[in-house]
Amino acid sequence: MKFRPRRSKWRSRGKPLVLLLTLALLLVMLFPFFVMITMMLRSSQEVYVTPPRWIPHAPTLRNFALVWSQYLLAGYFKSSAIIAIGASALNMLLSIPAAYAIARLRFKGRQVALYLFLVVQMFSPVVVVISLFKTFARLNLLDSYIGLIVINAVFSMAFSIWLLSGYFKSIPVEIEEAAFIDGATRWQTVIQVILPIAAPGLVTTTIYTFIAAWNEFLFALSFIQNQTKMPLTLGLYRFVGRWSSQWELLTTAAFLAIIPVLVLFYVIQQRLVGGLTGGAVKG
Amino acid sequence: MVNEGAPTAKRRLLTREARLAYLLLLPAVVCVFGFMVYPLVYVVMMSIFRTNRLGWLQNFVGLANFIEVMSDLEFWRITGRSLFWTLLAVSLKTFLGMIIALLLNVEYRGRKIARMLFIAPWASSVPISVLLWSWVYNPQFGLLNHTLRITGISANPPIWLGYPISGFIAAIWVDIWIGVPFMALVFLSGMQSIPDELYESADLDGVTGFQKFIYITLPSIVRILQISTLLSALWTFNDFNSIYILTGGGPVNTTDILITSIYKNAFVYARFDRAAVMAVITFFILTALSVVYARHYFKEES
Repeated sequence: MKFRPRRSKWRSRGKPLVLLLTLALLLVMLFPFFVMITMMLRSSQEVYVTPPRWIPHAPTLRNFALVWSQYLLAGYFKSSAIIAIGASALNMLLSIPAAYAIARLRFKGRQVALYLFLVVQMFSPVVVVISLFKTFARLNLLDSYIGLIVINAVFSMAFSIWLLSGYFKSIPVEIEEAAFIDGATRWQTVIQVILPIAAPGLVTTTIYTFIAAWNEFLFALSFIQNQTKMPLTLGLYRFVGRWSSQWELLTTAAFLAIIPVLVLFYVIQQRLVGGLTGGAVKG
Repeated sequence: MVNEGAPTAKRRLLTREARLAYLLLLPAVVCVFGFMVYPLVYVVMMSIFRTNRLGWLQNFVGLANFIEVMSDLEFWRITGRSLFWTLLAVSLKTFLGMIIALLLNVEYRGRKIARMLFIAPWASSVPISVLLWSWVYNPQFGLLNHTLRITGISANPPIWLGYPISGFIAAIWVDIWIGVPFMALVFLSGMQSIPDELYESADLDGVTGFQKFIYITLPSIVRILQISTLLSALWTFNDFNSIYILTGGGPVNTTDILITSIYKNAFVYARFDRAAVMAVITFFILTALSVVYARHYFKEES
């Protein structure tokens, strides 16, 4: 037990330094969010002053009302919601069967399928987008929610299949076999036994796809021209280009757009780390 | 007895197993081929054809597009910049991530809150964060230059997004800022799986904190370090948002990396063939990285 006091001594000496460094780094990492909050709480007169003010002299919540009328914000929200919900639903429909097959069934080419899903995860969407543009134009998928839903679902699929097959694998085979012996079909077993047990994994992948689609920018930028179909990311980007002088409104809109994903992200972040590093880390 | 029942149940399923597996995989595989493999094949086609303004194939030109792109000095500058971008950003993400992980690995009250706050850049929407940064960088009304002035760090801070070098620094910092939380979290969970006894016996031997880091912490998380830096390298190389939203690759393409240049060649200059050539080259670079990454995955599998 000799080491105990020594260790705590090191800690009590080191702690103030740790706290100081932590605080300093947090200041840097949270700086844009501080800027967002201090900007959205002021009137336009206080945005364009030199030298700039840290805190508004007359804080106001007026922007939260203004932003809806000066912006097509409600429309952007609607588009983002439709695309993100659609993409996560489609993603589940495609990923669950595939993940189950990879986790549970023996077949030739299993390794190849696994490899395929892993490697496509690495492709830059930019590479795909330059040739998909022509295809989308031909299929009338430009300026359409369907196009964005499909492409977002497909681009999250690789990760979903990886994460889900991990969950399916962790369920003991004996549970399934017991259900078979009781006369259940495979279909019944999956629906009534496997999916409920894998529920945390299903929630994680659904939320992950939702967030990825909500935050997606490149596909929207390439495929959407119509103002009414723009998701939040693209809408806000175009807003900056056109009315670069309304940062109090842009930061307000940014705040509103970030909140849903921020909340969802904190729900799944622990499992995300484990999933992304493929079990090298237990999240 | 139980062991006898299981294999028969399995054998009965085996006949139909493969057929079922292919059926279940079919929709996902069709999508991957339709939306990823086919577009990639078409990109390869575009790279060896002359294309029109919409990206349709015109006439076969062989390697002429490759020669055209590769004899352009700007292409090499952009490729070099991409590699430099990736190398610099990944090293700094690893370094900063390691520091944050070490800080979070110390026990103190409020550690959980600090951890949550550090994740914020990752949790937030990337394009929107980049937009916020573009306001932070505003030379006249932005708080960054104001801070630099009042703290005396720089009496005359740069117009960040207006010049090649400062624009590149501004963009790479945003990319680093986005990527650090993931690194920190991964390192932290690695560190927390190291048994306390290792440190305690090191304490007995009077080992310093830095030595503990080198001889205990680092070797224990080396596999995690490899996987996360590889993953980060892929993401960093592919980062479109930081540069495109902040500088648009400008002024005059001086902050472009391959990814933004591909996009601009296709959608701004309508030179799909040039874009395709660069995409094919990018594809080779990324595949090399992916193969290394995949090997690590499969080591885990078996």
